[in-house]
Amino acid sequence: MEKISVIIDGKVFEAEKDTCVLEVARRNGIYIPSLCYHGEVPSSGGSCRVCLVEAHQGGRMRLVTACNYPVRQGLEVKTDTPLVQRIRRGILELLLARVPNSEVIREMAAKEGVTEARFRKDEGESERYKCIACGLCTHVCAEVVGVHAIAMVGRGADKKPATPYDKPSDVCIGCGACAYACPTGAIQLKEKDGIRRIWHKDFEMVRCSVCGVPYIPKAQVDWIVKRTGKDRSFFDRCPDHR
Amino acid sequence: MGTINSIEELDRYRQKLAAAVKPNLPTVLVCFGTGCQANGSRLVAEAFTEVIKEQGLQVNVNLGIKTTGCHGFCENGPLVVLRPQDILYLKVKPEDVPEIVEESVKGGRIVQRLVYQDKVTGEQVAHYNEIPFYKHQLRIALRHIGTIDPTSIDDYILAGGYAGLAKALTMRPEDIITEVERSGLRGRGGAGFPTGTKWRSCAAVQSDVRYVMCNGDEGDPGAFMDRSIMEGDPHAVIEGMIIGAYAVGSHQGYIYVRDEYPLAVRNLSIAIEAAREKGLLGKNILGSGFSFDIKIIRGGGAFVCGESSALMRSVEGNVGEPRAKYIRSVERGLYNKPTVLNNVETWANVPEIILKGADWYASMGTEGSKGTKVFSLVGKVNNTGLVEVPMGISIRELVENIGGGIQGGKKFKAVQTGGPSGGCIPERLADLPIDFDSLTKAGSMMGSGGIIVMDEDTCMVDVAKYFTGFLVEESCGKCTPCRDGLPRMLDLLTDITEGRGTEEHLAMLEELCDLLTWGALCGLGTSAANPVLSTIRYFRDEYEAHIKDKKCPAGVCKALITYSIDPEACTGCRLCAKNCPQTCITGERKKPHVIDVSRCIRCGVCKDVCPYDAVRVS
Repeated sequence: MEKISVIIDGKVFEAEKDTCVLEVARRNGIYIPSLCYHGEVPSSGGSCRVCLVEAHQGGRMRLVTACNYPVRQGLEVKTDTPLVQRIRRGILELLLARVPNSEVIREMAAKEGVTEARFRKDEGESERYKCIACGLCTHVCAEVVGVHAIAMVGRGADKKPATPYDKPSDVCIGCGACAYACPTGAIQLKEKDGIRRIWHKDFEMVRCSVCGVPYIPKAQVDWIVKRTGKDRSFFDRCPDHR
Repeated sequence: MGTINSIEELDRYRQKLAAAVKPNLPTVLVCFGTGCQANGSRLVAEAFTEVIKEQGLQVNVNLGIKTTGCHGFCENGPLVVLRPQDILYLKVKPEDVPEIVEESVKGGRIVQRLVYQDKVTGEQVAHYNEIPFYKHQLRIALRHIGTIDPTSIDDYILAGGYAGLAKALTMRPEDIITEVERSGLRGRGGAGFPTGTKWRSCAAVQSDVRYVMCNGDEGDPGAFMDRSIMEGDPHAVIEGMIIGAYAVGSHQGYIYVRDEYPLAVRNLSIAIEAAREKGLLGKNILGSGFSFDIKIIRGGGAFVCGESSALMRSVEGNVGEPRAKYIRSVERGLYNKPTVLNNVETWANVPEIILKGADWYASMGTEGSKGTKVFSLVGKVNNTGLVEVPMGISIRELVENIGGGIQGGKKFKAVQTGGPSGGCIPERLADLPIDFDSLTKAGSMMGSGGIIVMDEDTCMVDVAKYFTGFLVEESCGKCTPCRDGLPRMLDLLTDITEGRGTEEHLAMLEELCDLLTWGALCGLGTSAANPVLSTIRYFRDEYEAHIKDKKCPAGVCKALITYSIDPEACTGCRLCAKNCPQTCITGERKKPHVIDVSRCIRCGVCKDVCPYDAVRVS
């Protein structure tokens, strides 16, 4: 890969061409807030807008999302200018008004000096009220797990991740990758008596033959066996006892 | 005749069509645009056929009947044009047809009651090109519309169609691009990106496959430029696309049409099929060795799908959501291949530019915006409809000369241009020449060409609220500023129009506008603040009247107005009392009536029905 040099906050860094600004910044210890992006999920990013930074290139400045803006030779990035701070605070205030119950958003907003949203708040106790509709869960499901059990449905303020018609999905394997990846912990995954419940569906868990702890949904084992040809007996034990 | 195999054959075919035309045959053109069809033009055409069938045998009247695309003067439809005299009849009903045949076709006289009458001067004008609505127009993109039958490829070829393509096929692709660059043509879809530059960038990218696309997802309220072209002259779009495809090296094209345009889909489908039969689409076009075909994709009705990246996702079968365009569509567009996407009107201009040359096209318009632009002129003007004028015409000329001034002699207040995310320009700036750059500078935009004229009875805060409400409904919900910012803006605007506004509201509105403009993902979001920004910029006093004085100066915002009856003007006719849905108007016959303000819902019925103009709004 072609190496280029990029300036971030006045310092010069070497990076592979077309790496995103956020990755280059992270590797070099520069903080840029981020919610909807995950390095292992190809089409994630670009929707929450908290990682907006100034990109100066070719005599032109614009705000770009660090999580998907490709670095090229001659790019200069500024992550902490008054403009960036102003827009970042505005976005966090909107998110805070949307999900006042989310600790993650509260903390991130407080870090930028936003403690209270002046707008009408969406009040509610359900998990919906932690969801920032960033879509990362749906990208993980489609691109990492490969099952397409959930998608973003509706539009505008009502947009949300959901299974088709909000009914239990035929293809969901209960793996919970969506819940682990969710930046605000908005997806509920509950386990009780060897049964996992996620997206309106119950999954029977396989117990570890050594410790007896239910640790993986049977449907997920079926999926992995089908996809990889791995021997089923591999899953008799949990990762701690293999 | 089947396939046309060479440019020479196309010329011969056109000559053959011309030879078959009876030069002195009187012809009636019946408009079959969506507006006129809705007003019953189909029945009018049938009536003509009937009358000719009956009378033709007896008196040997020979009359051609042709159904055409939209003439643009839709509010006066069904429209009928009589050729060769070029007489335009308005609001023609089937029962008028025998009289038209008798008087005009046979007798050569004009049926006065059916001709245009100027609403201000009362003057009657019978000839098409002398009617003010048409007199000031210059039609390039709309060149054939209203004169040819859009379902007949022969009609198009006879009118000179596909001559631009024939010429293009003799040119080198890079010379075509240079010609389009030199013409100064800029994208008619809204952003005004130079078309030739876009083509050159696409052609420069190394790739085995390239696509050309046509954006026919016109969704601005009140705008119907593209619909009219797709319905009325589909071959112009197809011809433009073939030329573009040849220039950039593409073999597959897509036309994305919203499904709410059934007639456009139908006429385009007929045109594509006919072009294939003639060998103008498909393999080895006109024997040039160049192959290209077009597929129609019907959109599902989301406004955001008019945004280029969302449109491409939609064609691919994904949810129509925009993506970051840090890598442009000309590099990675549809199916990640280099793609040229142009708007319907842009494509329709291309054949004429190639045929007549860049210099001809660049001789019209302004420094930065060449050629003509089609506008849909709607709102409080006397003549509403579709017009094509040279770039650089002033707003005032458009409103007063073509639009015939404001309805009912009211005062001209503002125009809203550029669709829902355009802005409002006040009357005092009405001498501004209309082009891409001047409108943007004034805080609005060209957009796809919607012009909504507003009079003194329009409340600008209410206008901002209306457009913001539209955008709230149409936001795709992908990015935070647009999804969550627009509803908050609507909250603030609602508060202001309902008398709960404070200075803080105005400040927060401006903050949200700033956030959207800088922070949103796509063009819909970054321009969504324009309605609010431009109305605050030019009509701040109106916002302040709502906030400080709790008054709506235009008398529109219901929470801030009261209705009363002027006892001097009221005759006690009881009409208002009879019509009031709240039955809160009382009074004895022939004595002044009174409105019980506590129960009044400010619906305005009393004002509408009062024959003495005695109902006051304050």
